[in-house]
Amino acid sequence: MSLSPAAERSEGSPLPPPFAAVVLYTLRACLPAKRWFGVLLPCVGALMFGWLALATGTGSRASNFADAAQFGLFLLIFPFTCQIIGDAVLGADVRAGTFQLTWLSPVRFSTIALGRWFGGWVVALVTLVPALALAPVIAGVPEAAGPMAIAGVFGSAAYIALFMMIGVVTRRSALWSLAVVLLGEWLLGTQLAGVAQLSPRWEAQQVFAGIWDYGHLIERDNIPLGWSAAVRLVVITVICLVVATWSLTRMKPIGGDD
Amino acid sequence: MTDPRPEPPPTVAPTAATPMPPEGLDPAFVAEPTVVASSVSMWFGPKVAVTELSCSFGPGVTGLLGPNGAGKTTFMRAMCGVLPTNQGRITVLGRDPRRDRSVQEVLSLVPEDDAVPRALTARQLVRYTASLHSVKDRSAPERSLATVGLSDVADRRLGGFSKGMRQRAKVAAALVTGPQVIVLDEPLNGADPVQRLALIELFQSLGAQGRTVIVSSHVLHEVERLATRQIVMVRGRLAAAGEHRAIRDSLADRPRAVLVRTPEPRRLAADLMAVEAVTGVTLDGSALIVSTPRAGELAQALPLVARKAGARLTEVRPLDDSLESVFRELLR
Repeated sequence: MSLSPAAERSEGSPLPPPFAAVVLYTLRACLPAKRWFGVLLPCVGALMFGWLALATGTGSRASNFADAAQFGLFLLIFPFTCQIIGDAVLGADVRAGTFQLTWLSPVRFSTIALGRWFGGWVVALVTLVPALALAPVIAGVPEAAGPMAIAGVFGSAAYIALFMMIGVVTRRSALWSLAVVLLGEWLLGTQLAGVAQLSPRWEAQQVFAGIWDYGHLIERDNIPLGWSAAVRLVVITVICLVVATWSLTRMKPIGGDD
Repeated sequence: MTDPRPEPPPTVAPTAATPMPPEGLDPAFVAEPTVVASSVSMWFGPKVAVTELSCSFGPGVTGLLGPNGAGKTTFMRAMCGVLPTNQGRITVLGRDPRRDRSVQEVLSLVPEDDAVPRALTARQLVRYTASLHSVKDRSAPERSLATVGLSDVADRRLGGFSKGMRQRAKVAAALVTGPQVIVLDEPLNGADPVQRLALIELFQSLGAQGRTVIVSSHVLHEVERLATRQIVMVRGRLAAAGEHRAIRDSLADRPRAVLVRTPEPRRLAADLMAVEAVTGVTLDGSALIVSTPRAGELAQALPLVARKAGARLTEVRPLDDSLESVFRELLR
């Protein structure tokens, strides 16, 4: 096993800086083909909800799409797509035992957390957000595409940070992520405005409701609306990233079998 | 009432072939350590993995040996900061690997488990590690891949690799950062015989360069060839330290078997039974298997007994000089 002359001559392409390397790793290693399929499937579902609003609705196109957005896009598509992405960027890597590779490096934990989150967010921006924006176009409400895209951009940022944080804090991240969505957002968030204010799902819906002309059809009281909700989502994103970074310092990056 | 403190490891005399500590220093320690473990204890709930372990590692290759469940992997993980110690302290170049991230600049771990990002190619894996460590030499990944013989398949995904190839990819990723301390947990697992030899040579050359190479393995005969110095763990405790033959010799007061071949086995067997140091003799064709708790005494007595019995000795060799036998005896 000596160095081959060819290898010695080879200069290789420039190595990316650590942050870019973490983002690239996230896109390549954390989201293999199977995960991409898992992400794209609900995106197709988002388009289907748009079509359902057009084909089966009984009211105006705006009210039909408002229903589809509230009970289809924000309730189902949005959280579950982000959960697939958010779990992939860290929780699944930790469970597989491959996160050690990243953790055992001199890179700062904040860079790791930020890089993983950013990689996941990029995936959401090229899959979920376009699907959410296309859904109102299919539903015959093209003016809702912009607000829906904005809600998707801010909401997915917060959601992925939340699910990524859960991936660092807990071992059974998929289970806890589901519990947060089902118990926290669906059950408690529907009844309690205080809980809903911490929920990416409700805040994203409020972003959409505050910007869209017919947003009053789905807006909730006692929760920030429009750009205020977007700011709230940014705050949630930052808090989740800080907690994730702090948790990385305390974690034991060994595989799920250990 | 029993003494709760762990038994001290057998004292081993330094030999010329091993980077042993200066005379008078505990064989578990080296004169110029890079990795120091001081009274390390680790447990997981009720299960104690490491107990009061104190030893040090310095430049050169050191084998970390022990049967399954001895606590080697746990100890190695603690060395790299992956796991915290419950009691005691581990330092790498004077720094705490769990708290000081800068330790990772000089440290590499090749873990035992087969977990690799299967969607990546070998080249991507090595380049990723190099990027994380801000390696300046852009040709380092290619050199590293060439060193483990993976250049030709560097663009294949790790998921399609054999276990041995994945091991080599992990070794390449560990080497690309030019670490001063390399911790290899069962690195020969899955490698074919040719690759094993090549990896052993590689580790030896790394040790010769002055790097601290710590290798655990259960393939004991290979570790005997690979590592000049060995730390033996049994049930989470330090059981022995030093060169493996010296460790074996230090256990001379424990029973061991010696094969004695002679044309007159029956006559010799009868006379050997009269020797105080012999506890049993088994006849096996033309050979005798002599059990003794004091091999040194037997070695002195055997030629005299053979001459008296008129038996010519054609072969005399210890049967259980391997590390497996050391483990067995230490486990008793």
